[in-house]
Amino acid sequence: MYTLDCFLSMQPPVENYANPNTCLFHVLFKGAALAFYILSALFFNSFVIIFVVTVLLAALDFWVVKNVSGRILVGLRWWNEINDLGESVWKFESLDQESLARMNKKDSWLFWWTLYLAAAAWLILGVFSLIRFQADYLLVVGVCLSLNVANIIGFTKCKKDAKKQFQQFASQTIASRFQSTVQSAFTLV
Amino acid sequence: SDQISSPTSKRSSGETQTNRHLETSRRMSHNDTIPLYQSSQSDIDEIENMMNAGFQSGPGSVLPARPPSPIRPSIPVSSSPFVQSNLPPLPPSSSSAAQKATPVPAPPSLPPAVNFGSSEGSKTTGFGSPPNTLTEPVWDTVKRDLSRIVSNLKLVVFPNPNREDPGKALRDWDLWGPFFFIVFLGLTLSWSASVKKSEVFAVAFALLAAGAVILTLNVLLLGGHIIFFQSLSLLGYCLFPLDVGAVICMLKDNVILKMIVVTVTLAWSSWAAYPFMSAAVNPRRKALALYPVFLMYVSVGFLIIAID
Repeated sequence: MYTLDCFLSMQPPVENYANPNTCLFHVLFKGAALAFYILSALFFNSFVIIFVVTVLLAALDFWVVKNVSGRILVGLRWWNEINDLGESVWKFESLDQESLARMNKKDSWLFWWTLYLAAAAWLILGVFSLIRFQADYLLVVGVCLSLNVANIIGFTKCKKDAKKQFQQFASQTIASRFQSTVQSAFTLV
Repeated sequence: SDQISSPTSKRSSGETQTNRHLETSRRMSHNDTIPLYQSSQSDIDEIENMMNAGFQSGPGSVLPARPPSPIRPSIPVSSSPFVQSNLPPLPPSSSSAAQKATPVPAPPSLPPAVNFGSSEGSKTTGFGSPPNTLTEPVWDTVKRDLSRIVSNLKLVVFPNPNREDPGKALRDWDLWGPFFFIVFLGLTLSWSASVKKSEVFAVAFALLAAGAVILTLNVLLLGGHIIFFQSLSLLGYCLFPLDVGAVICMLKDNVILKMIVVTVTLAWSSWAAYPFMSAAVNPRRKALALYPVFLMYVSVGFLIIAID
C-alpha cells in the first residue's frame, strides 16, 4: 500500500497539505504539551501547574486527534458503545475505499508519523523521570503516554477493520454481480 | 434479533438527518467531489444489504476492559463501518427504511440537528456526503460532547426517574466530566492549603484516580457486571457534590460549618453512587461493593476538613 511505502521511505509525499488548519491543530497540542513539560522546569517551581497544564493539553490533543483530525486527515473514527445487553462494544467507522484512496497522502503521512513520534517522545521522557526517581513527574508522563497510545491503538484497529470491511464488501459485490449476470443470462436463454 | 435490527434503525434515522446535511454541505463545500456511485436504485439497495451483512460480521468484540478511549465522541446513530460516499438525496432512504421493519426504539442520545450555519466551515471536509458523523463540522462535535457531560451529570447526581435502571442511565459514559471534577477538586484543595500545595494536589489526584480504578476492580472481582470505563465515569461524576463542598469550605473557614457541609455533600455523593454500584453486584455482596466507595469519599471529606 502506498502508506507502507511512505513509512519505509520516510519521505513526505510531494503534494501539498489538503487541510492545513487541521494538520496544524493536530500537531499543535501535542507539541505544546511536550514543550510545556520540558521547558516548564526552567520557569515554574510548582508541580501543580505543570501537571494540570500538561495533562489538559494532552487531553485536548487526544480529543482533537480522535474527533477532528482522525476523520478529516485519514477518514477514520473509533469509539466505544454499550449495547442493550450492557456489554461494551468497540465500533469503528471509515469512509469508503474511493474516498480513502483520494485522501491527501501528505495529510495522512503527517497524521501517523506525529502520532508515533509523540508517543516515543513521552516514552523517553518517562524513562528520564524514572531514572531520576521522580514519581510525580512519572505520573504526568504516564497519563500523557496512555492517552497517546490509546489513540494509536484505536486508529490502527480502525484502519485494519476498514480494510477487512472493504475486502468483504468487494468479494460480496463480485459474488452478487456475478449471480445477477448469471440470472439475467438464464432469463434471456 | 435486537442487535440485528438496531443498526438499521439507527441508520435510517441518521440518513434523513444527514441527507439534509448532504444538500447543505454540497452547497458549502469548497472541494467539488465527483459522484462516485452512478448506480441505479437496485444497486444501492444491494449495496445497503451488503453493508448490513458486513456490519453484522463486523468487529463487535465484547471486552470489559481495553486500553483505548477514555474519552468518547457521542455517536448516536449509524455506526455502519462502511460508509457510502454519495447517496442520491431522498428516495432510496425512504424506500430502504420501508423495507426494513424496525420496531427497535432509537438509542437515548440522538444528536441535535446538524448545525448548518457552522462557523467552523473551513474544517468541514469537502467530501460532501457521508451520511454520518465522519464529516460533521467540528463545532457539532464539541457541542455534542459538552451536552453529554451535562446530561451525564444530571443523570448521576440529581434525582431523576432513570436512576431506577442504572445500567441504562450511564450508557453514554465519558471521561471528560470526571477529569474536570478530579482536577478541580485537586486544585481547590491545593488552593486551600497554605503549605505543600503541590503535594496536596498530587495526593488528591492520585488518591481519586487510583481509588476509582481500584474500586472498579473491586466490583469486577466480586463478580459484578459493570463496564470498566462506565464505572470510572460514574465514580468521577459522583465527585461533583464533594467539589461543591470543597469550594464552600475554601471560602468559609469555620470548622463547624466545614463539618456540616462535608457531611451533607458526602451523603449526597454516596447516595448518587449507590444505585449504580449496588445494581452491578450480587445482592448479598452489595455492602462489600459499597463500603469501599463510601470509605473513599470519607477520606476525601477528611482531606477537605483537615486542609487549612
